Amino acid sequence: MDTNWLSYSLSDFLMFGPEVFLRLFVRINQDIWPWQVIAVIMVVAIGALLVRGDVLARRGILLLVAAAWLWSGAGFLIEYYGPINTPATWFGWAFVLQGALLTVVALVWRWDTVAGQSGAARWSAGIGWVVIMGLSPLLTVAQSGSWHSVALFAVTPSVTALGAVPCMLVLPRRIRWLFLLLPLVWGLFSVATLWTLGTRVLVVVPATTLALVVLALLFSPRRAQNRG
Amino acid sequence: MATELTRRKFLIALAATGLSLRIPSLMAAPVGETITRTIPSSGEKLPAIGMGTWRTFNVGGDQHLIDQRTEVLKTFFDLGGTLVDSSPMYGSAAEVMGEALDTLNARDKLFSATKIWTGDGGATREQDRASRRKWGIERFDLQQVHNLVAWQSHLEALQQMKADGEVRYVGITTSHGRRNGDFERIMEAEPLDFVQLTYNVLDREAEERLLPLARERGIAVIVNRPFQGGSLFRRFQSHPLPSWASEAGCGNWAEFFLKFTLSHPAVTCAIPATTKVEHMKENMGAMVGKLPDDQQRARMADYVAGL
Repeated sequence: MDTNWLSYSLSDFLMFGPEVFLRLFVRINQDIWPWQVIAVIMVVAIGALLVRGDVLARRGILLLVAAAWLWSGAGFLIEYYGPINTPATWFGWAFVLQGALLTVVALVWRWDTVAGQSGAARWSAGIGWVVIMGLSPLLTVAQSGSWHSVALFAVTPSVTALGAVPCMLVLPRRIRWLFLLLPLVWGLFSVATLWTLGTRVLVVVPATTLALVVLALLFSPRRAQNRG
Repeated sequence: MATELTRRKFLIALAATGLSLRIPSLMAAPVGETITRTIPSSGEKLPAIGMGTWRTFNVGGDQHLIDQRTEVLKTFFDLGGTLVDSSPMYGSAAEVMGEALDTLNARDKLFSATKIWTGDGGATREQDRASRRKWGIERFDLQQVHNLVAWQSHLEALQQMKADGEVRYVGITTSHGRRNGDFERIMEAEPLDFVQLTYNVLDREAEERLLPLARERGIAVIVNRPFQGGSLFRRFQSHPLPSWASEAGCGNWAEFFLKFTLSHPAVTCAIPATTKVEHMKENMGAMVGKLPDDQQRARMADYVAGL
């Protein structure tokens, strides 16, 4: 029987409007207050560890990013977004799995070599990362007109994915791709969802994530220095 | 006693006058006899405006929005509405509806309509049971096969449920004009109480085959997307209503669109969805007063097409 799939558009699969979606950010911020301070501390800590750049710092970065995957997956996606959009629940469990896997890697991975980046490059990376994590949460504020909807790293999924991708550069490329799959799929899903919702300002975050995923897949340290 | 009119008093009086002029339009309920239609298979009367829940009632656990939607539902009941339509496809809409009905204690006012939406043809009763639990009702007035998904087995099961008294009416649905050919064949072959389809001043394909067939077969028609998912407002509400709109019984664009739909003789009920009490009042305004005649209907369609 003809299913006429071509006659469907993305909006036919979206069962909620922008008002309900933007309220998710307001609600989670109200419910977790004042624990947002933990998210802010995580951002600053990751920035500092990116500047430091040694093996211990890398483990710390991965553990903090793992915690961000776990928090945003179990909280925002499963508890808040999932009830109005079933795929969000599936993504929530994927975020949790990603967080658990990254925790294991952070604890057991043996870095034989580390990229020999200059101090200036590490400072740029650390400060640049913190600045992006400071500015991107404001896009939901611009979209909704309410400070209560600020979308923090580790609390909300798209900013978490955006922040996580550059951090994956601390991993060798042979396993890095494994942790870029979820940001890739989440980015595609988010771009489609936000575009269909008409919240075009918010598309910037997942679209940037997608671009960073491609760059991260291609990136290889110019030279490696054996720290044996 | 003479009272001096100061500039301050004048401005206060002016503001009060303005407010008093605004309040009636905000508080006003449509007055007049409610337009009802008869369900052909039973003779039961049904108010001609129902309420859809697509996108509007899927608010998850957001208590602030649940309270707002409850106010919308209260307004709907207060203004004489009864038929509420939903689907398991609409996320948390059924749970939210159940909570709103609990708050309003209004299940006695409700004509409950939902759908079976699963590719598992053997899961009809299971999904009906789950939906009844969420709505907090003992049985649905109307169960419909959503978008013809696994329709043979679901329809067979629903007919058996109707025979067993587990549901009062049985129907099928489509939207956006999809699968109209299959829809027509099922209408011709199966004993149906209701069909649900898309029909509005721009989407008029149903006029060719489905609406005449519904009349011929004695099937009630529920119209979804009477505002084309809101796009009729986005396209046309910046334009003025035609000067002759009041002759056709229309005082605003909501009434214009809804009365066009309702004035087709095959249509039983239209189910616009909204998140706002003010819009619900406008929608319910289409359920009173005169409906356009054939000439006026043609004029309405021409006017919109020409904008």
